[in-house]
Amino acid sequence: MAAELAMAAILVVAASALLVGLTLRIVLYARTPAPLPLATTPAPTGRVGAALRVGREIVLFPSLWGADKPLWLAAMLFHLGLALVLARHLRYVIEIPPAWVVALQGPGQLGGILMMAGLVLLGLRRTLIRRVRKISRPTDYGWLLLLLLIGGSGLAMTYRWHTDIIGLKAFLAGLWRLDLVPLPGDPALIAHMVLAAALIALLPVSKLLHGFALVFSPSRASPDSTRLGERRHG
Amino acid sequence: MAYEIDGKVIEHDEEGYLTDIAQWSEPLGGVIATKEGLAMTPEHWEVVNFLREYYAEYQIAPAIRVLTKALTKRMGAEKASNKYLYDLFPYGPAKQACKIAGLPKPTGCV
Amino acid sequence: MADFVPPPLWPEIGLEPVPSPEDGLMAACRPFVAAPAHNQALGFPGELVEDWETRAVARLGELLAGNRALRVYLDACVGCGACADKCHFFLGTGDANNMPVARQNLLRAVYCRHFTPAGRLLGPLAGAGRLDRARLDSWYGYFHQCSQCRRCSVFCPMGIDTAELSMAAREIMNSIGLGQKYCNEIIGKVYAIGNNLGLPPPALADTLEGLEEDVRDESGHDVRFPLDVRGAEVLLVTPSADFFAEPHVDGLIGYAKVFHQAGLSWTLSSYASEAANFGLFIGSVEQMRKIALRIRAAALDLGVKRIVFGECGHAWRVAHAFLEELAGPFDFLDPRYPRPQHIAEITADLIRTGGIRLDPDANAGMVVTLHDSCNVARASRMGDEPGGQFTLPREIVRAAVPRFVEMHPDTTHDRTFCCGGGGGLLTDDLIELRIKGARPRMQALKQVVEQDGVTHLCALCAICKSQFTKVLPAYGFDREMMVSLHQLVGQAIRLGTSSL
Repeated sequence: MAAELAMAAILVVAASALLVGLTLRIVLYARTPAPLPLATTPAPTGRVGAALRVGREIVLFPSLWGADKPLWLAAMLFHLGLALVLARHLRYVIEIPPAWVVALQGPGQLGGILMMAGLVLLGLRRTLIRRVRKISRPTDYGWLLLLLLIGGSGLAMTYRWHTDIIGLKAFLAGLWRLDLVPLPGDPALIAHMVLAAALIALLPVSKLLHGFALVFSPSRASPDSTRLGERRHG
Repeated sequence: MAYEIDGKVIEHDEEGYLTDIAQWSEPLGGVIATKEGLAMTPEHWEVVNFLREYYAEYQIAPAIRVLTKALTKRMGAEKASNKYLYDLFPYGPAKQACKIAGLPKPTGCV
Repeated sequence: MADFVPPPLWPEIGLEPVPSPEDGLMAACRPFVAAPAHNQALGFPGELVEDWETRAVARLGELLAGNRALRVYLDACVGCGACADKCHFFLGTGDANNMPVARQNLLRAVYCRHFTPAGRLLGPLAGAGRLDRARLDSWYGYFHQCSQCRRCSVFCPMGIDTAELSMAAREIMNSIGLGQKYCNEIIGKVYAIGNNLGLPPPALADTLEGLEEDVRDESGHDVRFPLDVRGAEVLLVTPSADFFAEPHVDGLIGYAKVFHQAGLSWTLSSYASEAANFGLFIGSVEQMRKIALRIRAAALDLGVKRIVFGECGHAWRVAHAFLEELAGPFDFLDPRYPRPQHIAEITADLIRTGGIRLDPDANAGMVVTLHDSCNVARASRMGDEPGGQFTLPREIVRAAVPRFVEMHPDTTHDRTFCCGGGGGLLTDDLIELRIKGARPRMQALKQVVEQDGVTHLCALCAICKSQFTKVLPAYGFDREMMVSLHQLVGQAIRLGTSSL
């Protein structure tokens, strides 16, 4: 059971790193004073409007749409695909998945392909467009590679080297009960899980945090409210 | 960073404005103008002299508008334009003429 | 002193193609360093301190702890490049470091190195790097090639605003004794004399008297330019360039005529004879507050009921968004006008209600386009509705001239291009940068001049006006194309009751 123990440790460490890291970061952002209103205008005049503005940015990327439409498409393919894939993965951790998770199994498979297509486009852009190449750091390629490997191993299991889903589910369910159940030994599955764990663990200390940072981004999240008699203090 | 005149060294800042405005003299004005690529004519001196008079009273160079008005009063209507001043001092009447007149550079959003 | 001569504008209609980025094209471009006296007047060390790297990193830490924007913006960049082709200085120079993300990364490298685990562990692989002498030099050069216009922030999917980073970098440099001459000398003049120009009160009084004379001669009306009048209803705070430069002065005459015709009693202050607040440009909240407090003091001293700002872009940002926090509460003002107003709000309102009448025939032959000033467009508002900063000035222009034309939509409203002289760069030592940075605006102007016969470019910011007056000729335009918004008003307004 050594392999199972190692995998359990990896998953627990990754999940903890994610939870602790993310919490610390969010608390840090929330606690850092923002004494001056810094909205990029025109901006909504109220808090609700500002929250909706942030929500729209998170879901639809309107600023990116205005900036660069091919990039918007690549980013949307990747993020939408990732969202579908994550939704699909819920069935591996929920004993009896709700109907909507079951219904998303088909779209989830499509999501895997969309995600990979988005990643390939983002990678091509980064290497082929001189402007983007010039601003790329080694880690930017690193994240793309990591995501491609995770997605690739996932797709491989979906379409080629089918893994023992029942066994995987039993292993994950066992973790909740602190019980080590044998894990299917497919290399694709092991690679997929280890790489995903690495991604999860590193998210709070990397640029992958950007979605959470956006929630606190003053140019989007602060209202243009100085005329409503509202005094703002950190 | 200095102008040289009659063997004397007169210091100026990075942009050629005198460090000590009291050291100005008319010949020095001529030296500065030459460095600026300008051949001084009586019309140039007219502007420079007015700037110095105004500065002596108010510790600042006059607004362009004040300058054109004064020149018009003294010298006639053909001098009542911005363009006339820019023809004399292509780098901008306020800044270039102040430099030649030995006055500090007008600063700010001008 | 010959100006830099730019290559001709693109002959085609439309915006120029994006240049391919090259390293170091503008590496030699840097403004004069402030003299010790200029730095010390602001409480900064006179010269670069001995242990500057340590102190700079410590200052960065303090700023991170006190400014959420800085922290979030340094973390949030994914390097997508959406901003890369949005900066007028990149478009005009082609220097790779003028792509907003590259400019940010000059600071982000030091942040990564000292404040993130990835940077500590991976170093350059994560884009981290020390603040060594070479990097400090690139900070000084390239953070003074950012006009803090916020155009990049409009397009960034995370809303990252390079202006905040360039302000932070300048604040850090000031804290170690590496200030910029133009900004620091000017702020010192505000403290010593009351305005950026260094215009002493007697000179201001003389200038205003002269303007009263001029307007009387030209219009026959006794339009006043009051100074330090206690008990006036309105305190007008305007950039000191309005007392000095062309076409700024014509704008000031326009404000005076509006107040005159509306029957509003108003005054200027010799103590707060400056709207501009260069504390913003150098990223110093402390300097910004000191300058803002002068306005509060003048308003209290003169016992006014309203504060109105003249045409100055960043001053209006500070007034609209920051003044309450910096120098409030303004509870002594008329409760109907508890916040500073922009002169354009007053004028637009008077036009709507018939309080003043404009006669476009007075500006016959003018075809006018409007340059949205960056700080007005992307960092403030006019009126009650978001976007009023665009509609109100347009309403005024349309009422004042026979024909108004918009420039390319990618260059107006919140996508407007900076004039190339904002953010503390309006100085002769940066003239090459200024000419290159104005290029995208000049290209858009060329299009409407050729297609629509535009004769005049209107702006409502002192920096824009001075910058364009300077750079228009470099691109083959007449400098006299530049007009103030309230110059158009002043020329078109019907004074007196007899003419109504």
